[in-house]
Order: sequence, then structure tokens, then C-alpha cells
Amino acid sequence: SGELSCSLPNPRNVHFESVNMKNVLRWSAPEGAGDGVLYRVKYSVYGVGRWIRKPECRNINTTWCDLSSETSDYEEQYYASVKAFLNGMCSDWTETTRFNPLTDTKIDPPTVSVSSTEKSISITLTAPEKWTRDPEGESVSLLHVYPGLQYNVSVLNRKTKKRWFFSISNNTLVVPWLEPETAYCVSAQIHVSTPLLHSGFSKEHCVATLKDQTTK
Amino acid sequence: EDALLPAPQNISVLSTNMKHFLTWSPVTVQGETARYSVEFQGEYEREYANDSWIPICECSLIASTVCNITEDISATVAYNLRVRADVGARRSEWGTLKGFFNPITTSLTPPLMKAIADGYHLLLELEDMGPAFQFCVLYWKKDQESTMWQKLVKKVSSVVHLDTMEGGADYCVKAQSYVEAINRSSSFSQTQCLRAQGDRSMWL
Amino acid sequence: LGSKVLHLGHCRVSLSSPEIRAGFNAIKANIQARDPIRTLSILSHPHSLHKVKSSDRCCITHHLLDFYMDKVFRHCKTEDPFIDRRISSIANSFLSARRKLEQCHLQNQCACGQESREKLTQVLANYAALNVTSAAIKSLGELDILLDWVEK
Repeated sequence: SGELSCSLPNPRNVHFESVNMKNVLRWSAPEGAGDGVLYRVKYSVYGVGRWIRKPECRNINTTWCDLSSETSDYEEQYYASVKAFLNGMCSDWTETTRFNPLTDTKIDPPTVSVSSTEKSISITLTAPEKWTRDPEGESVSLLHVYPGLQYNVSVLNRKTKKRWFFSISNNTLVVPWLEPETAYCVSAQIHVSTPLLHSGFSKEHCVATLKDQTTK
Repeated sequence: EDALLPAPQNISVLSTNMKHFLTWSPVTVQGETARYSVEFQGEYEREYANDSWIPICECSLIASTVCNITEDISATVAYNLRVRADVGARRSEWGTLKGFFNPITTSLTPPLMKAIADGYHLLLELEDMGPAFQFCVLYWKKDQESTMWQKLVKKVSSVVHLDTMEGGADYCVKAQSYVEAINRSSSFSQTQCLRAQGDRSMWL
Repeated sequence: LGSKVLHLGHCRVSLSSPEIRAGFNAIKANIQARDPIRTLSILSHPHSLHKVKSSDRCCITHHLLDFYMDKVFRHCKTEDPFIDRRISSIANSFLSARRKLEQCHLQNQCACGQESREKLTQVLANYAALNVTSAAIKSLGELDILLDWVEK
């Protein structure tokens, strides 16, 4: 492809964006590069010598590349690097900082399901799953990755506007002795103490307690 | 030749609830303002780093006679602390804390708390005393101290649900703060009692 | 911040790991940026700490605490007072944990097997492959690797 001159400005802000260990490399186009810029991506396992090219991200025009598969071992740490090409020019390879999937990932809130009886609500929480190469294959819960994972649960009585908080380790919670025919809204957050990580609170799930059959 | 500037005196540490402050008496020089600088030294510095001292930038040439040393005095080891004064071009010797300070000796106070009865539910509002703190909460049916329930509240979020209560019964609650890093607890708070629904909830 | 009780065989040691992590996270980017060498790791290659048998955890933890006290922190002085203060906080927390583990070690509850000795020899070999300052800075930059393993 002839001699390339590497005077193109570098891609900017090259970084991993990770959610539930779905690890996507993202960057911004070189300053003032305009359209038509293509990119190549490589990555390396920290402590191991070789840089490895990602074929699916060779000469791409997008400014992201999914490296989840290549960085799925969360007991390792990684670097990734991007190079830009335009009109026979190229940039230097531009690297990320060291990426530690275990501590640098963000965690989604748990999914919340709520059912009710006349005077109680039952809450079931499900931690998000770790990204997996084969969506059809066996999934791994983040509970497996972070054994000390806990849930903070918020229960709002829509009538009195009072909000209570529960902190639980297992994923089910029954709140008894509630008022019949009252709407309760539940949301939950994941909290990991080491390493210190927490999700946002989930969307609120509201359910009403049933009519009290005993009162005629 | 100017008289030697005296080193700061009465250097001491005020430490409550894992917040540590170094204080000293002012060095007074007629018509001039003294400025003070603080340094610290942990056991690591004494044993492994040639007895070196580390300056606290936030307390470098300050006019105040108080320095918040919480951020630096974070391990459960014995720390040395020292202060010196500068007035104009003159500089005093270091005044050094008598003895060591170890965060393990901090004084712990019980948390501010408010017990709440919401229907049949016993709830607790607790003061947020910082990330190092957990709370041991005891609650029991009034006049039945022999049967107490205990709950460890690790993370304070406004109103913590303790338990459900028997209709119309009186319950009492007290709490103490606990710091796992130093494995120590405060004394218990005042006891608060209240009544579960079945009657109008009221303080007793 | 709190602390975490590490269960290392018969030994129990409270390590203020949230405190240490907070201190490390504050300097991680700066310290790792001072380490340009991608091809060598002190702790994780060629043999990962995570492959260590549980029976060897106590010995390796004890000796790695020693390693950081003797060979790492003292060679990491920087021109930045903020970083030096965070390193002091971490070093003193390590000293506190090491002292508690020492007591257990003296009661012969923290024995070293063959695999531990090989792993520790490898760590020292990796360290010796670089000049002291580079090796110390690289080791400090790998503190999260140590904490991720110790806290498991």
C-alpha cells in the first residue's frame, strides 16, 4: 500500500467502556480529520509480550470495537490501541490506560419482579449476567464474579409517600403486614463492597396489595 | 540577631468518630502573623523510609492552629506529628506531638437516630457517620429485655427497615456505632420506645 | 472506610482493603502511566496469582506484604506530594496487616509449600529483571492485581 506517512493526528480519548463485562473499545476521531477515516485495532494482555490485531476491526470506519471476547478473562488486565488512516496518511498507535475488567466495569441494576397478596408483597431480584460469547450458551451471573454482592431495596408506599430501605444478601424479600389496596413501588440497587462497585437503582416496579377479603 | 522563634506548644490530636484534628497553641509575635506547617510520619516511615516526614500540603503555611489530618492518618499504626511556625523570614524549630497517635484510639459516639413506627413496621433513621461506620441496632418488646433482636446495619440509607411489629405492642430501640477497621464500638444511644399500629403510634 | 477480614488458612487478618483501594485508585492512572513496559508483569505472569492453591494463600500473602514493604514502597518516592501521601497511607496499612499476619506466622500457621516458594521466586525474578525504580513502580501499579486476588 505504498509508504505511509504517519502525520495524521491521533485518535482521541481511546478507552474501554464496560458494562457487565461487555468491554467495548471506544475513541473519538482525530482532530479535524473529517470523513473517510479508517481505523485498525490491536490489544494485549498485560504482562504478555504480544500485541494481537483484531481482524474484525481492521479498516473500520466506526469509532468503537467490541473486545469483550478478547478481554473476557477478568483475572487478567489489558491494553488496547487504535491507529487511524486517511488518504495515505496514518496516525500513531494510541493506547488505552490499563484496563481491569473486574474493577473497571459498570454494573446494571438488578431486574425486579414483584407480586402481592392482601397484606404483603414479595420481591425477587436477579443480578445481571456477565457478558458471554455465546448468548445461547450457559450464562454466568455477576453474583458468581462478585460473591459479596448485596442488594439495597427501596419500597415506597404511594399512599403515605414513605420510603423504606432494606439491605439483603439473598435475592428474595417478603414485606408482610402491609395495608390492603395500597400501591407499593419497589426499586433495587446492587452493592459490592470489595472492590467497591454499585449499580444505579432499577426502574420502579409498582404493585397494589389486594382487597382485604376479611373485612365485609 | 532576631530572637529565636519559639516552636508551637500544646500540640495535641482531637479525634472523634475517625476524624482527626491536630491542634496547637498560637505562636504570638507583636504585630505579626505566624503561619504554621504540619508534617506526619507513620511507622512505615520510621521503619522503612529512613525516618522521613511527609508534609500535609493543606496545612502548609496556614494561619489557623488546627489541621485536619484525617486523610493521611488512615492506617491503624502509631503516627508522629509535628508543627513549626514561620513569621516573616524567621522559622521556628519543629514542635512534636508528645507520644504517638493511633487512629485506634479515636473516641466513638453513638449515632443520632430516630425510631419510627409505620403501621406494623419498625423503622430507623440513622445518622450517616461516614464510610468507615456500621451500626449495631438492638430492639425488643418493652419490658421484655430478655428477648432482644440485633441487626447490623452496614450502609446507611435514609430510613432502614428493622422488622415487623405485633399490633398494639410497645417496642424499644437503641443503637451503637461500630468501626470494623479498628474493631471498636461506641456506647449505646438513648433508648427510644414506640407503639405499633393497633393504637395511635406515640412516643412513650 | 471499612476493612475486610482475610481468611488465610488458619490465619485471620483484617486488611483495610477498601481504604487501600481508595488510596490506590487515587494514584492508579498516574503510577501505571509511569510504567511503559507492557510485556512484563511482576505478579500475574507467567503464573497467575489466581491459580495459587488455597493452602498456599497465607504464605504468599505474608511474603507479598513483605515484598511490598521491603522492595516496593520505599523506591516509589515521586515529585508529587499527593501521591507520596497516598503511598504512605497504603504502606502503613500494609504494615499494620503484616504485623497481624506475622503473629500467626510465628505460630507456624502460615507454612510455605513448594508451590508458594516457586511463585515467590518468580515474583522476585520478574522484579530483578528491571532496574529497582522501574520494578518498584510496576509493582505498585499492580496493587489492584494483588487486592483482587487477596480479596477473593
